[in-house]
Amino acid sequence: MAIGKRKKITVAELDRIRRRGAGPLRYYDLVLVSIREVLRKRRRYIGVLASIALGMAGFIVIITMGNDLKKNFNNDLDLLGGATIMNAMFEQIQLERQEWFRERTLAAIGRIPGVLDTTKVALKASAVTTWHDRLFGFNLVGCEANYWKVFSFNATVGRLFDQQDVDAGARVCVVGADLARQMFGQEDKGLGQILSIDDNLYTVVGILGGVRAGDRSQFVFLPITTALARVGGVSQPYSCYIRCATWDDVATVAAAVPGVVKANQPDRGLRVNVAWEPLKQVQRIFWWVELFIYSSIVATMILGGFGIWNIMMATVTSRTREIGLKKAMGALDSDILYQFLFEALCVTLSSSVFGVILGRIGIEYMSRMLGTRPPEGMFVLCLLMGLAFAAILGVGAGLYPSIRASRMQVVDAMRYE
Amino acid sequence: MSNQYDIADDNALVIDINNLTKTYQTGAGGISVLKDVNLHVRRGEMVAVMGPSGSGKSTLLFILGLFQPPSTGGYKVAGVDVLSLSRDQQAIFRREMLGFVFQSCDLLENSTVYENLELPLIYAGVRRRERPDRIREALGMVNLEHRLHQPSNRLSGGERQRVSIARALVNEPEFILADEPTGQLDRENSLRVLEYFTKITEEARTAMVVVTHDNMTAEHCTRKCVLTDGYLNG
Repeated sequence: MAIGKRKKITVAELDRIRRRGAGPLRYYDLVLVSIREVLRKRRRYIGVLASIALGMAGFIVIITMGNDLKKNFNNDLDLLGGATIMNAMFEQIQLERQEWFRERTLAAIGRIPGVLDTTKVALKASAVTTWHDRLFGFNLVGCEANYWKVFSFNATVGRLFDQQDVDAGARVCVVGADLARQMFGQEDKGLGQILSIDDNLYTVVGILGGVRAGDRSQFVFLPITTALARVGGVSQPYSCYIRCATWDDVATVAAAVPGVVKANQPDRGLRVNVAWEPLKQVQRIFWWVELFIYSSIVATMILGGFGIWNIMMATVTSRTREIGLKKAMGALDSDILYQFLFEALCVTLSSSVFGVILGRIGIEYMSRMLGTRPPEGMFVLCLLMGLAFAAILGVGAGLYPSIRASRMQVVDAMRYE
Repeated sequence: MSNQYDIADDNALVIDINNLTKTYQTGAGGISVLKDVNLHVRRGEMVAVMGPSGSGKSTLLFILGLFQPPSTGGYKVAGVDVLSLSRDQQAIFRREMLGFVFQSCDLLENSTVYENLELPLIYAGVRRRERPDRIREALGMVNLEHRLHQPSNRLSGGERQRVSIARALVNEPEFILADEPTGQLDRENSLRVLEYFTKITEEARTAMVVVTHDNMTAEHCTRKCVLTDGYLNG
């Protein structure tokens, strides 16, 4: 029988055991004991677990989807302010011949980092047409098929002409909404009608719509190839519009455009117009939105940390006698310290695992909503950052209560009622 | 009396307390709880320490268990001057050489009998594969092998105390300290616990100090000491 086995221990032996320390086996056992404790007292931790998990999920979604969200915000806000669209144009200088954008110049501008799209336009101010013996004046715009995309325009009735129409020089036109109402009574009645402009007949294929179409409601749009070939007095494409990917790109693109133009053609009279005020406003709005989101996440995390700290302090107090008992059984101060620290870590790490799962679900959902796919590497990076943060939170919030537990005097703990 | 601890000697001196005192300092001056206490317990002995409430029984028990130091005096366990040990050395000494049985049983709640007995083995660094045998053997000493995986809160009072005894035994201690071990038990369960104590001291030759104010418990011990006004007689 092992019980009653004779034992003799010397001070040297005690020192040897102490120096040997806990060793991986005992750490492993202490981790298991801690996990068991947390699982059995899980109800106590649910609130703080949910708080950290939600904070973590928010953090992962915001960081991983940040760029896609920004682009999407950019699209939505841009409909209101056009802050990411800039106009580059050549002004006429005295009697010199006015410059216009060459194809190679536009292609080079399109290659500037941060440029999403470019489109050139040919203009004729004060064009006229007649309809049922009435004379109507309007601005005529010859544009490319991607003009609509650059301005996020759409057709309220019919369709907007496409690349095929531009390539073929088709005799089709799109009419601004107000002009259509004035001419045809109702927008939909204009569809399929034939307009005579500069002795040529054009079929109305669509009425222009979209949030920003308001200031073009008195315009008529022709494919640029058609306008240049058939309309007298139409300008060369001396003006172009450049759409940037995000508002952060606007300043750099605006600074790069003159150099790119100069490298490809004469830049006499070049002017780059940027809507700086709307841009600043949009940036300010987004800065506040970002600040609010990140503050919420940080606040949630801090609350979670305080929650852990508070719960661990309460746990240490409520388990005072248990601590005394464990010390009576021979637990070292470090054993008690590690056990409580592992418990705090167990709560924060399991919270972060839930947070990662929630975050992944959020990313999948938002990706479908935005129609994008965030880089997987970014998610993995966020996951690692989240786990590291959870570990820091666990150690940070659990350290003081754990130290308090480990330094407890056995006699005080055993007498605690 | 030899100071050398001979592990082959069935009657070796395990507890050796000489001229021990304990004084608590208060605002009104010092209160002497233990005065010139001498206690010598050998292998196989079960010594009852009796006395009225406030006589210093618990203080003596806490000093014996290395939970608090005395004010003056000497205390050796199995030949080791335990008062000169550091805090960590005392903790290691406790887990290697001492076993405790408390009045309130003090089992870990929400844990099984196995987990309660496993904890001292974890602290002692006993290998995982050795633990089940050690735990079964300790439970066998108190006839509770069949309760191995029972949650501790589903045990009766008597069973809880027997688990507490098994836990004190699982690390094969040289001496066991019991604080009112039958205090919360009925007569039948008290007798059963005392029979296990007798068995442990006789078969395993473990030294035992039982702090009690119950005469029946004291009668089962091999020797009885009484604490009166801080002095230990007997």
